[in-house]
Amino acid sequence: MMQEVLRLQNLQKSFGSVRALKNASLTLREGEVVALLGDNGAGKSTLIKAISGVFPVDRGDIYVRGEKVSIRSTRDAMDLGIETIHQDTSLAPDLSIARNLFLGREPVNFGWLGVFAPLDLAKLRKAASALLKRVGISKKLDADALVSTLSGGERQSIAISRAMQFAAKVIILDEPTNNLGVEETHGVLRFVKEVRDAGHSVLLITHNIHHVFQVADRIIVMRRGEIVAEQTVADTDLLTVESIITGADMSALLKEARAK
Amino acid sequence: MVQAVMTIAAEDDALGARGRSRLLRSPQFSSFVILIVLLAVFAVADANFLSPLNISNMMAFLPELGIIALGMTLLLTAGEFDLSVGAVFGLAPVVVMLLVQNGGVDIGVALLAGLMLCIAIGAINGLIVTKIGISSFLVTLSMLLVVRGAALYITQGFPLKSWDQPGFFVTLLAGSFNIGSFRFYTSLWWFIGLSLFAIYILRYAKLGNWISAIGSNRNAAVARGVPADSVKIWLFIATSVLAGLAGMISAFRISAASPVAGTGYELEVIAMVVVGGTALTGGRGTILGTIVGALMLRAIRNGIVLIGVPGLAYNIFVGLIILAMLILHALLQKNAARG
Repeated sequence: MMQEVLRLQNLQKSFGSVRALKNASLTLREGEVVALLGDNGAGKSTLIKAISGVFPVDRGDIYVRGEKVSIRSTRDAMDLGIETIHQDTSLAPDLSIARNLFLGREPVNFGWLGVFAPLDLAKLRKAASALLKRVGISKKLDADALVSTLSGGERQSIAISRAMQFAAKVIILDEPTNNLGVEETHGVLRFVKEVRDAGHSVLLITHNIHHVFQVADRIIVMRRGEIVAEQTVADTDLLTVESIITGADMSALLKEARAK
Repeated sequence: MVQAVMTIAAEDDALGARGRSRLLRSPQFSSFVILIVLLAVFAVADANFLSPLNISNMMAFLPELGIIALGMTLLLTAGEFDLSVGAVFGLAPVVVMLLVQNGGVDIGVALLAGLMLCIAIGAINGLIVTKIGISSFLVTLSMLLVVRGAALYITQGFPLKSWDQPGFFVTLLAGSFNIGSFRFYTSLWWFIGLSLFAIYILRYAKLGNWISAIGSNRNAAVARGVPADSVKIWLFIATSVLAGLAGMISAFRISAASPVAGTGYELEVIAMVVVGGTALTGGRGTILGTIVGALMLRAIRNGIVLIGVPGLAYNIFVGLIILAMLILHALLQKNAARG
């Protein structure tokens, strides 16, 4: 069994009278892709926001590599090796791709100058170009192009490649293939596998069950703020997962499907 | 000379029309073309416009507003602005001169006190804007009243006695020198030096990357661990200090400090910055554009008087020209978005 990287224990979070997270527990191990599924309002977003430091939970514990941690800010999460890419990608549109990729962790010359240190523009551009090539973005992008000139899909790809370049232990992808073209989607899914093979863990939030079966090792299903099912992909199939998500009794349909 | 300027302007226009490169489409470039055209028009309309005396005059005033505009550009790029700069421009020299004239304090010590005062004003602006979360418009508007009121109260509304004792600091801030028949002040060196530093910061330094990112998408910057609040606080401080420095330069040049000096400068400075192509909404800033903007507003104010527009009417023209510039930038921006 691979080593545990992230463990959530009995997380609870309420917004006013709405109990967004009732009692969520899950474990993420080294080098696996776990898909987090659920209908709208199931609590997926609340869960990942709690892990990525957007807001604190009311109750419950978070462990990173077996050690109990407290995540109070996005910076805390990043320092613990948890990188999150939210649906609305977190890029600065007026900056170039290269500058966005290294925002907050810029390569500089004369580091002793602190914030006045000059950016190592050559290194910045080179690293950015290499990264862009790896993501497999169909259209050739110029590392110096402003993010505001990119499509939504291109922006998503940039944000994902940024999280990957810093070798985060846990990468949380919130609907990463939304707004992506077919080729871009395949590029991203291929990337997710690459990251897993390099030993990192991925928590993938998505609506697209087909993508889940392409890349995930395990599936966790949430409904009304609770985790209602946890299965390895090898032990389940698309229809079963769909029925768990909706909570509908699809056993008749399933029987029929399997009989075929 | 005039012919040459006009030829260059015409060529630049032609290039701009078919130019596809980023430089030619950039807002600072279009501002630059318009600056050249304006200079040409004034030069043709009145031969005195390009006379050594007139150019010397323009160059004497230019740094005083230009230096403040450099700080304002960085601040606007980070998504904030400062309306208290004109008041600080007035208060800093008043405090320094009062200390020297009435308190018998050494000029160096008095200047240090003035500097500390500017730092304090900038820090208060920055802390209230970032930590309490009130818009910089409201915070610095209130600060404008406080600072201007303080200047009026401590002087009882009267300009200070003229003070004209040459020395190291006076030479440093307001010394003059001649090149041929042109007379320049050391303030021009300050402006050039600070401009180069500001260009370096915004385009090449790590700090500039942070400033643009904060103004472009603050949440994204914060999510990447950029200390957005600290950066903004320091930019407020820098802007205040530059306003105070400009005030000292002006006061030493005319050997007098007045509590109403710098009235209305805040809007003039913001006009210079946005005319140069910096976005009022943050994220996009250009120091070169600001230098062009500062030159342009100075040339307009000077040229309009020279060509005989009645003094009381000249703000009409200044306002119209600024408006035209902003419309042009907006159209270019739209065009770029479509392309």
